[in-house]
Amino acid sequence: MSDSELGYGSSFTVDSVKVIAESVGIGNLVDDAAKELADDVSYRLKIIVQDAMKFMQHSKRQKLSITDIDHALKVQNIEPQYGFIQPDSLPFRFASGGGRELHFIEEKDIDLSEILSAPPPKIPLDVSLRAHWLSVDGVQPTVPENPPPLSKEAQKLESVDPITKLSKPANKDAAGKPVCGKAARLKASESVHVKQLATHELSVEQQLYYKEITEACVGSDEGRRAEALQSLACDPGLHEMLPRMCTFISEGVKVNVVQNNLALLIYLMRMVKAMLDNQSLYLEKYLHELIPSVSTCIVARQLCMRPEVDNHWALRDFAARLMAQICKTFNTSTNNLQTRVTRLFSKALQCPSQTNNESGPSMVPSMKESEKTPLASLYGAVQGLAELGPEVVKVFILSRVRWLGERVEGALSGIGGADRLAAGNLKHQLLKVLAPVVRAHRQPPDLPDDYKREYGYLGPSLQQMVSKLRSSPTGGNAGGAVAVVTCTPPLLPSPSPAPGPSLAPAPAPAPSPSPASVTIQHTSQAHAKTIESVASRNVVITSSAPQSPAPSTPPPQKFVIVSSQQKNQTQPASSAGHIVMHSSQPTIVRSQNSVVVTSGPAGAAPPQKVVVVGVPPPAHQPHQPHQPHQPTAGVSQAPVSVVAKPVFARSGSAQQPPPELDDLSHLA
Amino acid sequence: MGDKSTPLLAVLQLLRKYNLKGTEDILRKEANLGDVEYENLDLPEVELANILTAHHTESDPYSYEFAYDSLKKFVENSLDVYKYELSTLLYPVFVHMYLILILYDHNEHAIKILEKFGPEQDEYYQDDLKRLCAVKNKDQVKGNELAEIYSSNKFQVQLSRDASTQLKRYLHEQKSSPIIINIIKNHIQIDVCDGPGRSHAQVKSTLGGLLGEASRNENRTKVYYGLLKEPDLQILPAQIEDEEEAEETPDKPKKKKAKKDNIFMKKPKSDPNAPPNDRIPLPDLKENDKVEKGKALREAAKRVQLGPECLPSICFYTLLNSGHTAICADICDDSTLLAVGFNNSTIKVWTLTTVRLRGMKSADKLQDIDREAVRLWSLQCWTCIVVYRGHVWPVWDTRWSPHGHYFASGGHDRIARLWATDHHQPLRIFAGHLSDIDCIQFHPNSNYIATGSSDRTVRLWDCLTGTQVRIMTGHRSTPFTLAFSACGRWLASGGGAGEIQIWDLSSGLPSAAIPPASNSPIHALAFSRDGTILASGSLDSTIKLWDFAIISDENINEENGNAAPTQKEDKFLLRSYATKNSPIKSLHFTRRNLLLAVGSYDGSV
Repeated sequence: MSDSELGYGSSFTVDSVKVIAESVGIGNLVDDAAKELADDVSYRLKIIVQDAMKFMQHSKRQKLSITDIDHALKVQNIEPQYGFIQPDSLPFRFASGGGRELHFIEEKDIDLSEILSAPPPKIPLDVSLRAHWLSVDGVQPTVPENPPPLSKEAQKLESVDPITKLSKPANKDAAGKPVCGKAARLKASESVHVKQLATHELSVEQQLYYKEITEACVGSDEGRRAEALQSLACDPGLHEMLPRMCTFISEGVKVNVVQNNLALLIYLMRMVKAMLDNQSLYLEKYLHELIPSVSTCIVARQLCMRPEVDNHWALRDFAARLMAQICKTFNTSTNNLQTRVTRLFSKALQCPSQTNNESGPSMVPSMKESEKTPLASLYGAVQGLAELGPEVVKVFILSRVRWLGERVEGALSGIGGADRLAAGNLKHQLLKVLAPVVRAHRQPPDLPDDYKREYGYLGPSLQQMVSKLRSSPTGGNAGGAVAVVTCTPPLLPSPSPAPGPSLAPAPAPAPSPSPASVTIQHTSQAHAKTIESVASRNVVITSSAPQSPAPSTPPPQKFVIVSSQQKNQTQPASSAGHIVMHSSQPTIVRSQNSVVVTSGPAGAAPPQKVVVVGVPPPAHQPHQPHQPHQPTAGVSQAPVSVVAKPVFARSGSAQQPPPELDDLSHLA
Repeated sequence: MGDKSTPLLAVLQLLRKYNLKGTEDILRKEANLGDVEYENLDLPEVELANILTAHHTESDPYSYEFAYDSLKKFVENSLDVYKYELSTLLYPVFVHMYLILILYDHNEHAIKILEKFGPEQDEYYQDDLKRLCAVKNKDQVKGNELAEIYSSNKFQVQLSRDASTQLKRYLHEQKSSPIIINIIKNHIQIDVCDGPGRSHAQVKSTLGGLLGEASRNENRTKVYYGLLKEPDLQILPAQIEDEEEAEETPDKPKKKKAKKDNIFMKKPKSDPNAPPNDRIPLPDLKENDKVEKGKALREAAKRVQLGPECLPSICFYTLLNSGHTAICADICDDSTLLAVGFNNSTIKVWTLTTVRLRGMKSADKLQDIDREAVRLWSLQCWTCIVVYRGHVWPVWDTRWSPHGHYFASGGHDRIARLWATDHHQPLRIFAGHLSDIDCIQFHPNSNYIATGSSDRTVRLWDCLTGTQVRIMTGHRSTPFTLAFSACGRWLASGGGAGEIQIWDLSSGLPSAAIPPASNSPIHALAFSRDGTILASGSLDSTIKLWDFAIISDENINEENGNAAPTQKEDKFLLRSYATKNSPIKSLHFTRRNLLLAVGSYDGSV
């Protein structure tokens, strides 16, 4: 039929009718007959569908189903077509060829014996009834049963363009927000009220919730923690508390890295994980706080008290997976998140000769001082890159494997027990990560000599690994991604971060340690916030350990008490029971001893409370005075609440290990 | 044979109709007609007349296009006072041109005219046009629901006297091409009324019916929309009103939304608009009914007074795992039971209180999708007690009278029926709708029944006389739900395109139109018990609350009330609540004004 009819309904074409005729064994249908048939069939089908629509509408649906058609046929006194049962929409396939196009439904042969032998299918769940409050006195409570009060799009809009929030003050349509309390009173008095750009007021309930959640997340009760994390991961309407949560995490990481409190770091990372899993949150706004925290947990020089005993590797693995998830979720062409993260990790893998030239002045002293990046950081960087996919591994790790091998070799032959362990782990990890990539990358004759020549110290082991992989049949189907997953046990029952090939970034932006890749260190003011704090925090990690969060100018009434009672290698400050209290009021700073409520003397056995209150800006390093003071991107804008947030840090002595330290079972 | 045979056949049919055998035979012989065509002589009556009057123009299919063009120009060039009224003529003329062209086998021209002028018809007619355009040759005209409706009924158009004079003058000038004259004569009923021409908004508010607007004369009957007088339970225990018989304790309560108002509002004892209590016979109250009623009154005394400042709480019942199987839901008047109908023709009843159901069997109830009968189920013994037969096609909706005893049903056969529990046969048959009856609702005083139909009209029927007392047009899509206000004066209907219309039963005119917020159909409407808030639930998973006090106030103020205050809809909307992918199936205000809502979770969306 002519295509001009498309505006008001279409019809079967003569061709379709002929195809259908052929399928029932009528080979030579005359054109005229086909046309007659086409017209008639189109008409009848349209009538049936129009009738079926009535049944659909009365079933209160918007999708036409097969039963509707059956009912329509019955109404017309036609026997319905039995045997067409499709729960969802019909899977139409399309094929073309020889100038003809064909839409068809794929029908598979069904093996009856298979069905008979198969276990009976699960009985469908019975219909059940569940009641909840959609509204209480006109206010919609934010419970999981209700949709989030502020949709992700709205949160995004608000963060991108805060003006919109001002322009439509009482949007009753969208949120169902109460026009009661203060807002109502203001409305009633009709006073001119200039709304703050971002309101940071939390209701009493929200404050309580925040307190409960944060306490539970870092507390010692695993049951409560699970509940709190569940709430973080599922509850809608958390967006108002999001700035505080993020600040809590970033501050907590900062303090506990200094404290080497592995357990708390793990708990904080689990909070990050829960927040990432929450579908209703728009986290983009807070990445500048989360990413530095997460990357700290990946590449920090030291994360635990006793590197030789504690399993801080699990934390690094977990955080690396988080980072991969962040990259996967939030990477866009404008923020180039994955490129930046890749750069961050790959820089840690550079040999000192390269870094010396390229890194900023701030890096130079520390590199000189400790000579090299610590092995633990190397491990973290390798893990972080590995999670980003085999392509990244190939470009950034494989090219440096010779240098890495030298480091491993040196450490293995050295004396330090911790170093040895770290080198062993690093070597193990490198082999695991590299083997699949090398396998995919090299042609079969695997000669130990070639490997030795190409990959240095690690060559022979790598060769063994690769040939083992080649011989095992299971390894044949995928690249590095699979291997990465298998060698690191999943820490949490989370959506597997297994970076498929699709995740692999285009390695183009920084395929090699080009000078450009290092500029990250000198965060120019022009850089986006995220990268600034990534970089500045990175300095904290890779340089010698910071003394403690340094005073700055937080708003009044905010202070930080940090207790550290054990000496450790990275802490040059030799004083035991090192308690610092910072405040914007200098007088209080001086009078720190009067506030030392909870800290005990060095070696005091009972775990003590360390109270972190408020928000210190990112530490600037006292020993790096020349580093440009970062405008403390995220932190200063984060609302500084009056609510004191206790962080329970257990800094046990060497004789009495904190109970949770080795208790990583919850991660496994 | 084409062109020629149609008029010849028509003449033959006419001859046979008047039993003029001789002439018929001669004509047959002369025209050389075969037996086949002869046997198939059954053109519709109206078409016959049309063919016979118009057949001399049929030879020139091109003239139709010109004729329509010239009519369009005439409408456009007329004064604004007449313009909008006259423009309502365009659509029926257009439709009939198409049908006539099809009937005369000028299929290409029909399609051409459809494509040329179809898109410029009003939006709410587009669905009809799409259905109509399935008809592509004259065999299909017969038997097509829509085409038959158009050809066997006259399209109603209201014109002021001046406008109709203008039209007459124009038609007079067009003598040479009588196409339009014939169409208007044969297919369009022009309802001339005195008074000035109506404004654009006025015209628009009543447009949209399948067959145009309701004529004014049809809405002249007085409607007793007031509420029945409350029987005094203490003093006159044996008085009238409100009962259910023992067996139909089913939907026990459904009763008296209305009654409680007396307690609160102290209405004047004699409402001039209220029907006498014995206008239709209602069964006597039995002892346990009185107890029920007393309970209801006590409950009502605790009612929360709602208003824009005091919104109701909403308790939402989500049906989990129901997929698309749950179809309808209802909550009984005392808010203790919830019944849900499923697509496999079962009904499940849940108790909403802590009282356990007695001997829970799977119980099935009234309305289901492919039922051709109405079943009465007892909630006391959980069995089907009576099957009421009468409907030939699926029953779309049934509803109890608020006073019990009576119930009404309507469905695909375009007929609404009034039943009583003590009769097998329907007491009244309400015929008149042109298309399926999609929803039905009892007036709170039990004397009237409102029906909404796919012909986009809402009609009010008198249970006493069985006649149609109001026909209300203005819906742009099929109404799927109806609700009477607590005071009985207003009727709200929710349409398939998401619009809500409020009708004033005293005049039969639309008093407010709430434009659709989204395209999803409204599936549930409920008035709060004090009549201040109207709640609507739609397929797009939102519940919206409207300030009905403002809506009704405004219309009382501007008493003629037919100017729809379209721009004020923002003022009406109090709040919108979204659910999580759970389209609303039913809404119900408890006696204390708590809003209960039922929806089934639809995770796939």
